[in-house]
Amino acid sequence: MTQKIIAKEELYKQLNSLAKDFEIIGPKDLFNKGFFYERLDSAQELYLGEGFTTEPVKKFFLSPSEWLFNCQYNNGKNSLEELSLPDKKRIIIGVRPCEARGLILLDQVFGSQGYKDEFYLNNRRRTIIIGLACAKPDAACFCTSLAGSPVESRGMDVIIFAKGDEEFILEIVTDKGKEIFGALGQVLNETEKESHALEKEKNKELVIPKIKVPESLCSIFEDAYWQEVSRACLDCGICTFLCPTCHCFDLVDEQRKKLRCYDGCAFADFTVEASGVNPRPTKKERYRQRVFHKFEYFKKNFGENLCVGCGRCIRHCPVKIDIREVVTNIPVTENK
Amino acid sequence: MENVYLPNLAEIVEIKQETLDVKTFTLKFCDEAARQSFDYKPGQFVEFSVFGEGEAPFCISNSPTRKPNIECSVKRTGKVTEALHELDIGDTVGIRGPYGNGFPLEDLKNKNLLFVAGGIGLAPLRALINYCLDKRDDFKAITIVNGARTSKDLVYKAEYEVWKGAKNTQLHLTVDCNEENWTCMVGVVPKILEQIRPTCQDSVAIVCGPPVMIKYTMPVLLKLGFCEPSIITTLEMKMKCGLGKCGRCNIGPLYICKDGPVFNYAQVKNFIHQ
Amino acid sequence: MTEELRNKAKELLKNKQVELIIGYQRSPDGICAKPCFIDKETDTDLLIWDTYCVYNLSNYLKEYAGRKVGVIAKACDSKSIVVLLQENQLKRQDLFIIGVECRGVVDEKGAGFAQKCKSCLSSNIPIYDYLIKEREQTRKPLEDDDEYEPIRKIEAKVLLERFKFWQQEFKSCIRCYACRQICPLCYCPKCVADQTQPSWFSKAANLTGNFSWNVTRAMHLAGRCIDCGECERACPAGIPLREINKKIEKDIKELFKYQAGANQEQKPFFACFEKSDPEDWIK
Repeated sequence: MTQKIIAKEELYKQLNSLAKDFEIIGPKDLFNKGFFYERLDSAQELYLGEGFTTEPVKKFFLSPSEWLFNCQYNNGKNSLEELSLPDKKRIIIGVRPCEARGLILLDQVFGSQGYKDEFYLNNRRRTIIIGLACAKPDAACFCTSLAGSPVESRGMDVIIFAKGDEEFILEIVTDKGKEIFGALGQVLNETEKESHALEKEKNKELVIPKIKVPESLCSIFEDAYWQEVSRACLDCGICTFLCPTCHCFDLVDEQRKKLRCYDGCAFADFTVEASGVNPRPTKKERYRQRVFHKFEYFKKNFGENLCVGCGRCIRHCPVKIDIREVVTNIPVTENK
Repeated sequence: MENVYLPNLAEIVEIKQETLDVKTFTLKFCDEAARQSFDYKPGQFVEFSVFGEGEAPFCISNSPTRKPNIECSVKRTGKVTEALHELDIGDTVGIRGPYGNGFPLEDLKNKNLLFVAGGIGLAPLRALINYCLDKRDDFKAITIVNGARTSKDLVYKAEYEVWKGAKNTQLHLTVDCNEENWTCMVGVVPKILEQIRPTCQDSVAIVCGPPVMIKYTMPVLLKLGFCEPSIITTLEMKMKCGLGKCGRCNIGPLYICKDGPVFNYAQVKNFIHQ
Repeated sequence: MTEELRNKAKELLKNKQVELIIGYQRSPDGICAKPCFIDKETDTDLLIWDTYCVYNLSNYLKEYAGRKVGVIAKACDSKSIVVLLQENQLKRQDLFIIGVECRGVVDEKGAGFAQKCKSCLSSNIPIYDYLIKEREQTRKPLEDDDEYEPIRKIEAKVLLERFKFWQQEFKSCIRCYACRQICPLCYCPKCVADQTQPSWFSKAANLTGNFSWNVTRAMHLAGRCIDCGECERACPAGIPLREINKKIEKDIKELFKYQAGANQEQKPFFACFEKSDPEDWIK
């Protein structure tokens, strides 16, 4: 894996020169609103500091609202019109390791088994991901407790590490990344490589393990515990929409077009049936479903927890529900 | 581009009014190639689109041995079904599918079959009943118990004579309360089962109906000696995409649209409360 | 104050005056607060009161309708309880309101007190059963602070500019509906946004749908919103929701001399009229 050091100016120059063939997307500092991924006109608009974006990069792959096809109605006959997929290539820079891992988990749902979702896969194919390693995790981060790390490059094509204010260390991960950024910067010498490796180890330690996921949650399905932990929940959907791994959606017909938009088990009418019966009538069932889907059911189907420890749900929950606390304190019974 | 959300166009060729709020639609695929290649197992369902209104899942209620047209029975309950009931012969709709696992046909071969249906629950079972009758010699004795709240709620009345007359086949009809001019049995389905006492030897029970009927029928079947893997049912939760992706029908580690909707009792009793 | 609060809570539970107390406890990060639900005397020691107690707990009251519940209420929270009572969503005899004189709460997104606190007369609590007074000096509202200053800034823009301003803001709405869920006065069993027969506006998170959603919600709160500010605090996209609601509040105050949540005897805004109401646009 090639490791180089480059000046910020050189990286920005390269990004700007690519702007005619690629859409450049990266975090922007929107002052008292927070950091958000936006399409950039120039690399100078980038924010590559320590703050974390509110919305994860997931929205550029599984779109929050997407039209799937149109239906025309002419002379009393319906006919379907397919929409062409966007083909503009993109570079998304500033993606944190947790978000990139989230994409790998989403690939399992939308790309691997059974039906392949071309809308999602097309977005994956036309995107180059430049990850940004985390220099300073905050109190809500817990990626290392879930087999993640603030300095890993899984799911990325290139990863950059901030070195002071004016330089980055750049690691090329895939051929896609090499094609675009392989020519930049100077190769690290041995001393530099060593100190970089040490730095990475140090950063990993900064993320304090804060969650302990029980082996199996099944024994505590029926338990007053869920009533207690979900009491403050508002059923609002922020945790779902800001999560890099949540992917539930709704299919709606609007004006003869098929819309796919974000949805979630947090919403009260997610499971309401035509008869009006709702198998998850209260917050207790819905919050329990969230925890179980992430730490039990997905694990059973795909072998991993559906959570990357990014901390967004904790940072932005309006009533400070902390999923780490909820999962760690699950009163698991010792015997099966 | 293979768009898994894009339906095939189908034309409504026949509409039958089964009860006050249930209609059966016969559909013919508009595209000849799609019509010939569409194949399914009894128990599978399709996502039915009424363009401009929405999409909803319905089981295919005619047997694949009677292709190429398919039939869906729809009860008028909400936005999509209301719009569907307003449609006429000749209108086009969208069909996506078939989805789901279908009935485990291999496990039913050479067995006595007990079909237990309540109200519109007869719809998915009809596909299987007619399949079995079309391949009559693959199965042993067939007993059908079909109940509804009133005689007006009984569906597929046109089939009853055919079923009664089939080889080694019995049909028991029942309504919840006695009515004028009603000559068949009276009582809820679980009670009728207790009266008929169908044999559990070498038998499989296939049950479908409203949740309350299923709840009280299961213990009766167990008491009659049916073992849990030989009681099969088809579940319905709110389904949307049919592809195991949107999360709505997720129950435990399973998705009703992908791993079901047909399950046996051993699987179902674990998550009947979820 | 915390001591007094805990003692009162203990007393209420002991005497079975209430089954449950909704208050604030320390959050897992050790610094901030979060809502808590106490039904045992022994748990009353979890209750806290400080500048981080920003939540409007009256939002939870509708879930416990029919049960005797105690709730901690600041001046702003108390006003939303008034509106809920005016609209018959709660029964007065089921509530035991512990009013607290607050010195201002911290708005976590920025530094310093929340914008809404700057012009608040925090000792003016319109409804309570027991009052916990502030021992130290109550912070007086800034004399020359004009609570409508941000509104006037937007009003000063020409129409097209104003429209562009709000278009820019609503573009980032993600339709999480947190604003609706956290608002104590959004209690419709089936929100207009979730209705399908008919479907009133698009579910898509595009500008048209977002505009419809946010404006509809503001309109449904006209004459009812008491500016607890929770919607803006909850919004992950940082949309200045208070400014929309406050604009309508300002118009209603100026045109009709009506202020929501002032006292329980008052009728809801749209349920009353005066002969002096302006009607010069009726030709």
